[in-house]
Amino acid sequence: MLFNSIDFAFFLPIVFFLFWLGARGSLRLQNLLLLVSSYIFYGWWDWRYLMLLIFSSLFDFYIGLALHKQEDGRRRSLLFWSSIGVNLTLLGFFKYYNFFADSFVNAFSMFGQQLHLPTLKVILPVGISFYTFQSMSYAINIYWRKLTPTRDILAYTAFVSFFPQLVAGPIERATNLLPQFYKPKEFDYSLITKGLKMMLLGFFMKVVIADRLSLYVDSVYNNIGMHTGWSFMVASFFFALQIYGDFAGYSLIAIGTAKLFGFNLMQNFNRPYFSASFRDFWSRWHISLSTWFKDYVYVPLGGNRGSKPRTYFNLFTTFLVSGLWHGANWTFVVWGAMHGAFQIIERMIKNTVNIKLPKVVSILFVFALTCLAWVFFRAKSVNDAFYVIQTMFTHAGDSVHIGDKGIFAFSIMGIFMLFAMEFTMEYYPDFSLLNHRRAPVRFATILVMLVYIISLGVFDGSQFIYFQF
Amino acid sequence: MRKLVTKISIVLALLFAVDVLAGIALDWLRDHSPDGRYYKTKYSLESCKEDVVVIGSSRGEINYVSQVIEDSLGMSCWNAGRGGQGTPYFKAIQEGILTRYAPKVVILNVDDNDLETPPNYEHAGVLRPFYHSCAAIRPVLDKTSTFEWLLMKSRLYAYNSSFYYLIRPYFVEGLDGKTSDKGWKPRLDKMTAEFDGTLQPEPARTKLDTASVALFESIVTKLKEKGCRIFFVVSPNYGRTVSASSAIEYLKQTSAKNDIPLFIYSNDTSFITKPEYFVDPDHLNVDGARLFTQRLVEQIKPYTNTNNQHLSNDEKVFEVH
Repeated sequence: MLFNSIDFAFFLPIVFFLFWLGARGSLRLQNLLLLVSSYIFYGWWDWRYLMLLIFSSLFDFYIGLALHKQEDGRRRSLLFWSSIGVNLTLLGFFKYYNFFADSFVNAFSMFGQQLHLPTLKVILPVGISFYTFQSMSYAINIYWRKLTPTRDILAYTAFVSFFPQLVAGPIERATNLLPQFYKPKEFDYSLITKGLKMMLLGFFMKVVIADRLSLYVDSVYNNIGMHTGWSFMVASFFFALQIYGDFAGYSLIAIGTAKLFGFNLMQNFNRPYFSASFRDFWSRWHISLSTWFKDYVYVPLGGNRGSKPRTYFNLFTTFLVSGLWHGANWTFVVWGAMHGAFQIIERMIKNTVNIKLPKVVSILFVFALTCLAWVFFRAKSVNDAFYVIQTMFTHAGDSVHIGDKGIFAFSIMGIFMLFAMEFTMEYYPDFSLLNHRRAPVRFATILVMLVYIISLGVFDGSQFIYFQF
Repeated sequence: MRKLVTKISIVLALLFAVDVLAGIALDWLRDHSPDGRYYKTKYSLESCKEDVVVIGSSRGEINYVSQVIEDSLGMSCWNAGRGGQGTPYFKAIQEGILTRYAPKVVILNVDDNDLETPPNYEHAGVLRPFYHSCAAIRPVLDKTSTFEWLLMKSRLYAYNSSFYYLIRPYFVEGLDGKTSDKGWKPRLDKMTAEFDGTLQPEPARTKLDTASVALFESIVTKLKEKGCRIFFVVSPNYGRTVSASSAIEYLKQTSAKNDIPLFIYSNDTSFITKPEYFVDPDHLNVDGARLFTQRLVEQIKPYTNTNNQHLSNDEKVFEVH
């Protein structure tokens, strides 16, 4: 079920009222309701893949219990690696098998060898990258003895499948979210209204900004042979804002929805395009994933505890894996590698030269390079991405593709609104029309946003970009 | 909980009020539009009474000059074509027109895309502002999304994303054709390319889409039932010859079965090799459109009074070279 679907508009109020009127005060009933609702939410897309989610949850639940009991080092290690192995096998089978099979075939054909590997005709289960990572973090933390496993199977399965963040995050740690399933929820008016406002802002970012921009971006990137360098620059700039509006919007809806049920999820975005460095960017963009990779890949690799070359290697490897996590395509690997390289170069410059650029210049510089890397994220293939970048720098052309003037005009309007919102939140955090102390201002803001969404939102039932990961 | 429900109810009540008031204002803007897309669609659905009606996508809207048809056939003509549209829009226009009257002649401009790709109901969403005023189009619009009938309760939703083209004619007239052009959208530019003597090869055959074909057939059947003389026309493309696509083969069969003359210009070298007649590879400019329409009406003239009578095989398919 998509957040931006009518199905969800019916589903959410039903679950909300059942939760607060039917299951109020009872922990088991609340968790059971959330579990059943989450399975309906997930199964709405394809009920067969629900089995995968249930299997993954149960497997790690029992592995967690066994890990906790087991004192023998070798057996603990075996249990731990079986959890990692099963989760990565699921991910590898559904997400990466065809990618690696094709890559092997292509690599062998470069040396004149014809290799025949069967390809799978399976669709990628929605959210598999998110819930397997969440489930894996549970087992890892128990293995590291940072977490005591729960014996409450209902709480655990509800935690793994919690529908607000099930299919596209934020990727929660068991240490933060799981304990929230141990206490019955009390109706908290201020938390719920905060959640509703976050959802409103999230929908605004998704349907008004991201989906509108996608119309232009798709028209350019789906016909790259037809466009000039200027058009690619505009489309790449639009895509940077599209993917932000899409994913930050999704995260806001997810966090807001969780608040309706009394849960607090971690912040996933913090105005990343105001970052003055790449290090800063990755502390603001997809925070739940970047901290996951930091905790479970970068630090175990040695983090910054070794020599500088070793630190750079760890950093680069982490970003390479992060790139591959985003999708089974070399474009994502290159995108990850670029961000790894940006961070390494940034650190090397910082360590050797004492340059202090004005903040606005740094922000623009980081944003420009981020847009360049997004080209690989959006292009269908690495060759296409290189073609786009080459055209940007060598054949700028004398015109920009506008396409439908209405779409373009509303895209520009959306960008201005997004910038105004982000700028205010970044530099004037106390000023908020949605949370203004005067009720008429709050109501008027909510009303204007709703009218804007209905009038200028794109309601084509588009998927969220991060669903494919 | 009560406080929450009360406040949500206040917001919803305010939203309802704004929706109603905005709907009244937007309906007024739509109904008083001096020209432009909404004027043309409204006229097609609710007012046109012309003898000849052209239905098609952008190639229908741009390639057929109503005035040339009127002058040559001595019949009134309205071009109901609309850019970016396909069979769902054609169906809605056909329904909107036939509930009021039956044109004597209907020229259906057919592109390969119309029959080889699934019907794009979302594109037909441009008709949403007419959902309440023209009941005949509702079955088409209801297919744009599962809960469209519910969403259409909102007048703001009905006008979603329409504001630019709704307001533009109040400031700049004639960008989608003047009212005197009677639906035709003239394009003034000329292609800068020079024909290098080679035509693009025939595109690979694509399978017909069954849903689009079914929709197309329902349009043809309805028009025939009402006694309209139908003409199928395949317009020319610059630099490309198309003689044996799945769509053309299908049109030939349908033409033979239903006694509908089919005119294929997609191999006509007096157009497809002449960049000076095109604004882009798919659309004729003013000069090209006038010449093309003139050629076409000369060919269809003998049939305009034959109503739906049986035609011999020689009278059905015309491939112009």
